[in-house]
Amino acid sequence: MSDTVPMPPIKRYTGVMDWLTTVDHKKIGLMYFWFVVFSALIGGAMAGAIRVQLAMPGATVEAMQAAALNGTTALSLFSDANGMFGDRHLYNQMVTMHASMMIFFVLIPGFIGFANYIVPLMIGARDMAFPKLNAFGFWLLVPAAVLQLGSFFVVGGAAASGWTAYPPLSLKAASAGPGQDMWILGVHLVGVSSILAAINFIVTIVSLRAPGMIWSKLPLFAWATFFVAIIQLIATPVLAAAVTMVLMDRNFGTTFTIASQGGDPVLYQHIFWFYSHPAVYIMILPGFGAISHVIAAFSHKKIFGYLGMVIATGIISFIGFLVWAHHMFTVGMPTWLQAFFMYGSLVIAVPTGIKVFSWLATMWGGTIRFTVAMKFAAGFISMFVFGGFGGLLLALTPIDMSMHDSYFVVGHFHMAMVGGSVMLLFAMTYYWWPKMTGHMLCEKQGNWIFWLMLVGVLMAFMTMHLTGALGMARRVPVYFKDFLVLNHITTVGYALTFISSVWFVIDLIRSYGRPKVTENDPWHVNDVQQSFEWATTCPPPVYNFEQVPPIPVADQMGKH
Amino acid sequence: MLRPLIALLMLCAAVSTAAESPVVPAAEQVDRYVALFNQDLLALDDKRRVVTPITGAFDAPASDIARDVAQATWFSLLVFLPFLVLPQVLLIWIIWKYRKRQDGRAPATFTGNHRLEIVWTAIPVVALIIVGIPMWDLLYKMEAPPADQRRDMVVEVRGKTYAWDYKYQRLGGDVPTTRGDQFEVGQDVVGMQEPIVLVKDRRVIMNLTANDVNHAWWVPAFGVKKDTIKGRYTNVWFTPEKLGFFKGQCAELCGQGHGIMLISALVVDEADFAVWTETQRHRADTARVWSALSGTTVDAKALEDAVGAYLLKGSSPWRLFSLRYWIASNAASLARKPGELKGEALKQAMLARRVQVEALINRLTGPTTATN
Ligand SMILES: [Cu+2]
Ligand SMILES: [Cu+2]
Repeated sequence: MSDTVPMPPIKRYTGVMDWLTTVDHKKIGLMYFWFVVFSALIGGAMAGAIRVQLAMPGATVEAMQAAALNGTTALSLFSDANGMFGDRHLYNQMVTMHASMMIFFVLIPGFIGFANYIVPLMIGARDMAFPKLNAFGFWLLVPAAVLQLGSFFVVGGAAASGWTAYPPLSLKAASAGPGQDMWILGVHLVGVSSILAAINFIVTIVSLRAPGMIWSKLPLFAWATFFVAIIQLIATPVLAAAVTMVLMDRNFGTTFTIASQGGDPVLYQHIFWFYSHPAVYIMILPGFGAISHVIAAFSHKKIFGYLGMVIATGIISFIGFLVWAHHMFTVGMPTWLQAFFMYGSLVIAVPTGIKVFSWLATMWGGTIRFTVAMKFAAGFISMFVFGGFGGLLLALTPIDMSMHDSYFVVGHFHMAMVGGSVMLLFAMTYYWWPKMTGHMLCEKQGNWIFWLMLVGVLMAFMTMHLTGALGMARRVPVYFKDFLVLNHITTVGYALTFISSVWFVIDLIRSYGRPKVTENDPWHVNDVQQSFEWATTCPPPVYNFEQVPPIPVADQMGKH
Repeated sequence: MLRPLIALLMLCAAVSTAAESPVVPAAEQVDRYVALFNQDLLALDDKRRVVTPITGAFDAPASDIARDVAQATWFSLLVFLPFLVLPQVLLIWIIWKYRKRQDGRAPATFTGNHRLEIVWTAIPVVALIIVGIPMWDLLYKMEAPPADQRRDMVVEVRGKTYAWDYKYQRLGGDVPTTRGDQFEVGQDVVGMQEPIVLVKDRRVIMNLTANDVNHAWWVPAFGVKKDTIKGRYTNVWFTPEKLGFFKGQCAELCGQGHGIMLISALVVDEADFAVWTETQRHRADTARVWSALSGTTVDAKALEDAVGAYLLKGSSPWRLFSLRYWIASNAASLARKPGELKGEALKQAMLARRVQVEALINRLTGPTTATN
């Protein structure tokens, strides 16, 4: 009887309600995008607070001591007592939340957002495999961000034990307020969101590829997203386990990490880094895939060494699970174990090198249009090679014993994450923005944005390497006067980077007022390759393609 | 060749027959040692330049480990440098050479080159092996306990929010630990820390632990850094190779005071180290004298009682020297305490007190030592 009841009409919303209820991967992708932009501005402003503090005359211990002896206060943003904006505790909150925002709400969802929009198009699908799950995954980020940012306003402020939340510092005795608990719950929500996205990408890529798109023709961005989804699926529950131990130790009387009661704080570090090393690949590998398309498109060539690229990405993903303890060489480990993690970390340089050389070979012999997207792609290669070079030195345990937890490390990962990941995200935006919104970004302003960013990144993060090698520890609000000049240079570099980023956001907003793109393929990508996302309108219709995309596509490997 | 040997003999003599040691410095030497052991990590000169510049492991290694680390760093930098420079140069060159021009050149169509791919996989592997092999030895040198530890100094380093405690467990030179040569060096004033005193060319073995949250002990010039973790001991060892005063800081986020959890390390020769250990031995006993002195006015009776009690417990040359040393040293460190007299006023006030103590010593110990 029930099958005779007619389906109720599906309610179609418009305007804001449409965005709130949408399960369209493209709209969700754009919502990810703007959520990430918003988080990045907040996280960037926090970095600003840190950099301003470190450029203050009162940021040297010498000035502090002099002030203490004279009974005055040194000029400082986060001063010891009665400071204008608060105190050292607030500084540690800034350090913690800057990292948390940038990692959990910018870099990880940044690439997930792009993959959300682009991967289904690339593989010729009409949507993700589980559209509602997709929407749920995105919307989980909102309470997660509210929990983490909202913790600034509770008693004791936000979490202040670093994004690594090492116990005992993150336990009740040292971090009493609810901010740390809210941070942990926020991480849980981000984790669930990540896992849901991972499941969705895996199923989508496995089962929704257009007929004829065999694995050896899968675009590299889809490949990278696939590998990253597997990493996320395996690693994220481990992060949840780590922070849950802290949550339980804080609130429910367990002693996982409490040494005096039989627990072990180092256990937490191992579990935490088992997630967090692979997490750095979650924050960059999808971009590796995407940038291959950008470089090929603007070099007017096909991707060089497609198979090598896929294998390299796979190897990086796999070895990524075997090197976590290189983040904790100073913790005291058996020597053979340190050797294992040292050599394991070095091995990652090989597949990474393959990728860099293949990008260069892709450009070789092409007719390169040096558009803004291409500039950011080139900037990424250059900065990432710097970052990787620092990583090579850090992988060498004896050297890391000196570099660990110094500004060298801060310089290294900012080089990889800003010079690398952020430049990737910018390149991807310039490349796919017309597809995603139907509007072009301004090339002229883009040039300024690129060069400002490049100079800023070099000034800020190259300098940090030097500061650290000379002996400045990270996460400090004050430092020896020896480092004054270097810190000033870094702060100027930060300012350039931030100005460039804000300018970029302004251009994003203004682009909506520009005339619509009328072509399907404004970059003429498909003159040389055939990529499905350029075979439909800008932006694509709700159902993505008028018909199942033309099959077979030109072989990515070029053997047709 | 002879010098270290003599120094060693002198030290052995100094510790084994502490009371009658011939190397007790003369009373006039007090100021020299006060200056040596009370160096201000954060001092600035007249031109507001740093008096003790920071030195890193890579630019000015000051221990055997740091020297090896510096060497390893420059070596690996050299081997890896082509992998930094080559891609950058290639990148710029390719962008320039293959830029799109209006010459109608068609882009190349190759999509792979197996021989090339094998080459750029193999060459990095070779470079990694070249760097990786010597790293093995260095790693084991840094991390596997040294075989012969008889001459080593053993210090327990305890991180606590936000200072360091150093407990000398064994002063080395085959001294049995039962001789009571354990003493602690603690925090001085905010942002300042009494130095850990080490001996040039004598290996120190550090056992590190923490009282509360994790910290990390790091003096860049020594090339070592180790976490201090409650409930465990971690270890480092190194042989300081340069005399001098070195600075470092806590390298693991430990809370609000993380940035001011500084470290100072003083490397001296054997003779000065003997003076330091002897003065440390009698330090606690001098506290009563100092407290009698440190008020705004000095109660002559209380002072005499305190000095008398000190001398009653022993009046060896080392004890006399130690008393003079600590009175002067405590006075000097007042300059680094908030709310105390400063500059000339402080100097005068403390000089007066030293004279008072000196007079008492002379009176109470009779004419034999009064010649000093
Ligand atoms: Cu890692
Ligand atoms: Cu600390």
